[in-house]
Amino acid sequence: MEIAEFRLALDSWLDENESLLIDERRAAATLDEQMAHLAKVKRMAYEAGFMRWGWPERVGGFGGSTMLRAYLGEALTSRDMVEPGIYSMTEVLAPTMIDYATPELAAAMVPRLLRGDETWCQGFSEPGTGSNLASLSCRATRTTGGWSVTGQKVWTSLAQFADRCVLLTRTGTPDSAHKGITALFVDMDSPGITVRPIETMHGAAEFSEVFFDDVVVPVDRTLGEEGQGWAVAMDLLPYERSTALWHRAAFLGRRLQLLLRAAPSGALDPGAVGEVAQLLYALRARSRTTQRRLAGGERLGPETSIDKVLVATAEQAVFDLVADGLSTDVLIKDDPTSERWRREFLYSRAATIYGGTAEIQRNIIARRLLDLGADR
Amino acid sequence: MDPGDLILFERSLQHAVGVHDGQALDAALLELGWHDALGHDTQTAIATLFSLQGSEHTTSASLDHVLTLRLGLERALPSGVVLPALGQVDPPGEYEGDHLVVRGLGSAALEDHEETIVVARDGHATVVVDVPTAALTVRRIHGMDAELELVEVTATLDVMEARQKLSPSAWPSSVALCQLAVGHELVGAARKMLELARRHALERAQFGQFIGQFQAVRHRLAEALVAIEAADAMLGAAWEDESPTAAAVAKALAGRAARTAARHCQQVLAGIGFTSEHELHRYIRSVLVLNELFGGSRTLTTALGVELLTTQQLPALVPL
Repeated sequence: MEIAEFRLALDSWLDENESLLIDERRAAATLDEQMAHLAKVKRMAYEAGFMRWGWPERVGGFGGSTMLRAYLGEALTSRDMVEPGIYSMTEVLAPTMIDYATPELAAAMVPRLLRGDETWCQGFSEPGTGSNLASLSCRATRTTGGWSVTGQKVWTSLAQFADRCVLLTRTGTPDSAHKGITALFVDMDSPGITVRPIETMHGAAEFSEVFFDDVVVPVDRTLGEEGQGWAVAMDLLPYERSTALWHRAAFLGRRLQLLLRAAPSGALDPGAVGEVAQLLYALRARSRTTQRRLAGGERLGPETSIDKVLVATAEQAVFDLVADGLSTDVLIKDDPTSERWRREFLYSRAATIYGGTAEIQRNIIARRLLDLGADR
Repeated sequence: MDPGDLILFERSLQHAVGVHDGQALDAALLELGWHDALGHDTQTAIATLFSLQGSEHTTSASLDHVLTLRLGLERALPSGVVLPALGQVDPPGEYEGDHLVVRGLGSAALEDHEETIVVARDGHATVVVDVPTAALTVRRIHGMDAELELVEVTATLDVMEARQKLSPSAWPSSVALCQLAVGHELVGAARKMLELARRHALERAQFGQFIGQFQAVRHRLAEALVAIEAADAMLGAAWEDESPTAAAVAKALAGRAARTAARHCQQVLAGIGFTSEHELHRYIRSVLVLNELFGGSRTLTTALGVELLTTQQLPALVPL
């Protein structure tokens, strides 16, 4: 399947099914409603075949270039059929499952994620472990019945909806840092797991605290080998900074386009508009290069931190412009469309915080790309 | 070019730009076939040469050839060529009543030619005029960066007959090509500044450690690299896109990235970077001037914003 052929087929399918794929209430939709709609869109796209292209056949895909996945997400996002953040979780979690789960486990689980049957989450951050991921302490101990996990995660996106979790645990000594980490694939309905959603300032309980109390995880749910969890995390993070970013760039383009139409005459400074558009184009150019490297089979690494800095900068720039151009909507109006602008503006404040802060990205760039040596 | 030829081409350009400057570089480029390459592999020829000119801080009259490549001239160079005035993207000539008014820039080699090409606006048309170089007032520019060897060209001439009328797209696409060339030159200079600052950060120690270990310093250099890579990616995208809009975006980003790099790198190099004993100042000077060739980043950015606000349409650049 070539991308041009895929694009043609997909675009006409999206046109035909637009009324089903667009959630009428989307401006006012709660997170629960967004999740339900996402599952519907994924199922439809899976059954029509589009969701299967770009994924290996051994996990239920049809094969073909990863660019097809990038285009599908771009099309769904730019037509406002899905929210990019919740849609792209597939792009963050499935590739690492394919790289590190046993072939049987990947074959059994990945199709459920692609088809929208399941939601997965990513258990990385902890109360004492934010930017310094290697200091995590959620403990996994080998027992006769498998792993026993005890500890706490936080900022776990979509945990309250999740059926499974890619979980980083401490299996080495407490001070073993990145050497003593093991990744597990955990069923979220396991006894001993408690999820407490946290309400964010943009009004959605987008992430949660997750408590693990002697949670038993079978040994065949280990991703990679014991002690290989850091490699799993380093494998996953570039995926978070590649295809998911391409989708986010498409979303930002759509919102900027809407802003141009919606802003009252004279409300926007031309210089500011031009600069934001340039940032978006640069982000697309950079992210497209990354997409092509991924499609060419290259292993992505620390250079994706540049993509991440660019997307965070562009997202905040777009919504700073929204706050200027649509100040009445963002600040005082209460209709669904205005509430959506306000929600998105507030959410954009987190763009330099989640998925590795702006500072951590710059630390990675300094150490790994500029070769400036260790921080201290 | 196949990969083998490409490596050879890059090496010979690297050597030429490293050893020669100005008119000697023009001669060396002619000898190694850069002008032929410009015709059949335009992107490689421009990207390779201008990045090197930027990083080596050398200059040549190559921009003349880039500007005329897409004009569709019936008679090609050698002639002098007048470039647009500082900060401008409009042609350097304009018919005003009985006069042809010329206001632009040029390379130092311009004065070696008997004739000089002036592209001029004549009402709605854009035309090419051959002007005797002797009729032009040519002033060698010292200014911010004398090493760029630019000249200022002015004249008010009696109306001369145009040799040729240009197609409507000829001038915009020629400007776009020059914007890409200067964009690569800016990125080359910015990468060089970053390398100078990076080396300093690894050698200079204060408070018992190399300053490159301080986060404040590291983040400045990271910031410069992000800006440079973003501009470089957009230059690549603009080559694929081939639209004047994409080239202008790339040029604006390159100019801004180079000034961002200049600011951070000078701060990291601190005292030594403020002296004329260190080479940083040469790059700072050149990027300030290069930023204003074929449209400065501020002008290009505002123009894009005005276009977007007028059309209420975000052009669909950089497709997957």
